[in-house]
Amino acid sequence: MSKTLKGITLKGSAELVAEFFSFGINSILYQRGIYPAETFTRVTQYDMSLQLTTDAKLKNYLTNVISQLKEWLFDCTVQKLVVVITCLETNEVLERWQFDLECDKTAKEGSAPREKSIKAIQEEIRSVIRQITATVTFLPLLETACAFDLLIYTDKDLEVPEQWEESGPQLIDQSEEVRLRSFTTTIHKVNSMVAYKRTNST
Amino acid sequence: MDDMEDDTTIFSTLKSFKSLISCPDRSLLETEPAFGRSGLQNLYTKRVELEEAAERVRSHTNLLQLTQEKQQMELSHKRARIELEKEANSSSRDLQREIDRNRELLLQIRRLEEREEKANQALNEQMENNKALKRNFEELHKKANEKDSKLAEADQMISELKDETRRLNQQIQIQESKFSTQNLEIQALQEQLDVQRKYEFTHTQMYTIFLIPSNKCICTLERRLALQEQDSVIVKNMKSEVARLPELEREIKRLREENTFLRETKENNSLLREETEGLRRKLERMERAMEEKLKVEKPEDLSREVIQIQQRELNLKQQNYTLNSSIRSVEKARTELMPEIAQLRAKAQEEQKKRENQDSLVRRLQKRVLLLTKERDGMRAILESYDSELATSEYSPQLMLRVKEAEDMLQKVQTHNTEMEKLHCIVFVFLRQKIEELESERQQLEEQNNILEMRLERHNLQGGYDPVTTKVIHLQMNPTSIAKQQRTEEVEQLRVECQRLRDRLRKIEAGGGMTTDDTTLIIPPSQEILDLRKQMESAELKNQRLKEVFQKKIQEFRTACYVLTGYQIDITVENQYRLTSVYAEHMEDSLLFKSTGPVGSMQLLETDFSRTLTGLVDLHLFHQKSIPVFLSAVTIELFSRQTVT
Repeated sequence: MSKTLKGITLKGSAELVAEFFSFGINSILYQRGIYPAETFTRVTQYDMSLQLTTDAKLKNYLTNVISQLKEWLFDCTVQKLVVVITCLETNEVLERWQFDLECDKTAKEGSAPREKSIKAIQEEIRSVIRQITATVTFLPLLETACAFDLLIYTDKDLEVPEQWEESGPQLIDQSEEVRLRSFTTTIHKVNSMVAYKRTNST
Repeated sequence: MDDMEDDTTIFSTLKSFKSLISCPDRSLLETEPAFGRSGLQNLYTKRVELEEAAERVRSHTNLLQLTQEKQQMELSHKRARIELEKEANSSSRDLQREIDRNRELLLQIRRLEEREEKANQALNEQMENNKALKRNFEELHKKANEKDSKLAEADQMISELKDETRRLNQQIQIQESKFSTQNLEIQALQEQLDVQRKYEFTHTQMYTIFLIPSNKCICTLERRLALQEQDSVIVKNMKSEVARLPELEREIKRLREENTFLRETKENNSLLREETEGLRRKLERMERAMEEKLKVEKPEDLSREVIQIQQRELNLKQQNYTLNSSIRSVEKARTELMPEIAQLRAKAQEEQKKRENQDSLVRRLQKRVLLLTKERDGMRAILESYDSELATSEYSPQLMLRVKEAEDMLQKVQTHNTEMEKLHCIVFVFLRQKIEELESERQQLEEQNNILEMRLERHNLQGGYDPVTTKVIHLQMNPTSIAKQQRTEEVEQLRVECQRLRDRLRKIEAGGGMTTDDTTLIIPPSQEILDLRKQMESAELKNQRLKEVFQKKIQEFRTACYVLTGYQIDITVENQYRLTSVYAEHMEDSLLFKSTGPVGSMQLLETDFSRTLTGLVDLHLFHQKSIPVFLSAVTIELFSRQTVT
């Protein structure tokens, strides 16, 4: 960890945000039942117990995406990260967990670290993850088999690396949106929101 | 141990048999002489019987031996089987281990192959990088050479430029020296100029001193001119008034003549009126007198009339007097007016004279002014000529020019200002209107902006983006695409299976149970099924073996019981035991016992055979209450029956 004890550098902020995404995405997958609960194991992070997957393929995929995302966070070229949950039978998008990223471009490699304690940032992250867990209570049930995908919104002129390709935004037809909490490291600000398909019964 | 026990039983039975053989021989021998031939026959039958018994025993022993051998064989079989199974298990385990090892080795081989490929790719990439770097290096070398040549050229240029700069510096120095000499000349000339200027200044001062009184005279003359103009204006007015005087006199004359005429007429009128009145009165009196002829003409009446007439006369006289007084007053007034008129005429004449004097003065003054202006112009011309004579610095006319220009500028500026103020007002009003319009527009735009911002926020929340600035990317191998691929593959596989099963069904229905190899579905048995099958088979084998073992043991036990106790115990019905004695005379002779209670107490049930043994039953069961004694008594009874008869 390159976060200095005195403040937050650009690299440290990128690592904090990437770590949050790693645990956040795992939480979403566990809470929504995309993967069976027995494939998850309990770990302690941010002073709370979270679920982390043990499936090797899934782990591999997540580390690929998160490591690439960390690079882009360092370059301040990423704008959003979206977890898209699709029903496999009907190929419809049922849920979209969207995380908007605002990067302070004045913080470059060599600039002075910003004054914010890591504990405060972790406190904010904890409240965000708790809220994600709480929102599951009012989201409609995912009854059919579902799969997920991670989309990243970047600047238009970014060079697309190998193994990545352009895709559509995979929007929900007739969606309800809910804004969740946000947290900031003073260099990166993450706004969370969830959009879900309106069910006709409600 | 079983073998040993079996041997002991065999030996014990042999001994018993031998003892039996020996005993009946003695008993037979002892009883021989008593019976004679019947005894011999008895002996013979007894011998035959004994031989038969011996044969039976021998066969029994053979049986026992055979069974023992068989048991031994089976035991050895079992052992062999167990050993074989153990070996089979171990060999299967070894097989599995080797298969796993095989797999692992294959995986390792694959990994190593992949690593090799990656290493080769890396090698190739490195080689390419190397080549690229070499090319870059060559290019950079060329660039460096070019730069060196350029540098040499630049150095040459620099040296040339330095020579030029030296030349230019020399020229500059020469020109600076020239400049300095010229400056000195200029300074000398300026000093001369200053001297001349001072001279001029004194001249101009002199001229100005001359000019100042003339200017003053000019000012005073101008003032006088103004006054005189005012006086001339007054004089003109007075003239006009004075011109009216003769007319006034004429009018006065006319008025007076009229006045006299009128008075005369008035007098005449009054006289005439009086006469008329007198006449009327006379007439009236006459009439009255005529009318009142009858009336007594009284002297009183006459006196009265006379008094009246006298009064009238008095009145008339008074009127006459008053009229005369008024005439006199009017004549006095006229006489008073006459001198005033004379005075006014005199004044008018005086004023005419004054005016004429003033006109002459004015003419003189104008002439003087003309002369003075001519003098001034002459002076100015002289001054200008002097200025032009000096002619190096024309600063006074320049100053005048500048002053004029400044005044012109001032006027222009003032007019411009006024115009601008007017424009300002118009523009102000116009701008106010514009401001109001713009404010209303601004409010509308703000509302639109708010609406658009809300829409944008909604769009953003739903996940929309601006394609000009952002793009959306994801990994090609992502869980959703993999899941979709798997789904389609599963669906394809299921379709293919379905098709195969349908074909098989059709063929089965057509062929009537013929299952040929090409339509059989080879479902590869999975490892679990094979394991379960093996487990099942082993369990079944175990079951079978256990059953066999139990059967054998029970059989052995039953035979042992039969042999030892002399009773065959069968369980016919639940809790009912049927005992058949070894020495039973008939097959159906049996004792039935029922178990009552959990402890093991038994009760004898009534059978045909038990009715024949009522004595024993009474004795042993009712009185002695012992079943084993009863049973042994029954065997002894049966045995005795058999042996005796």
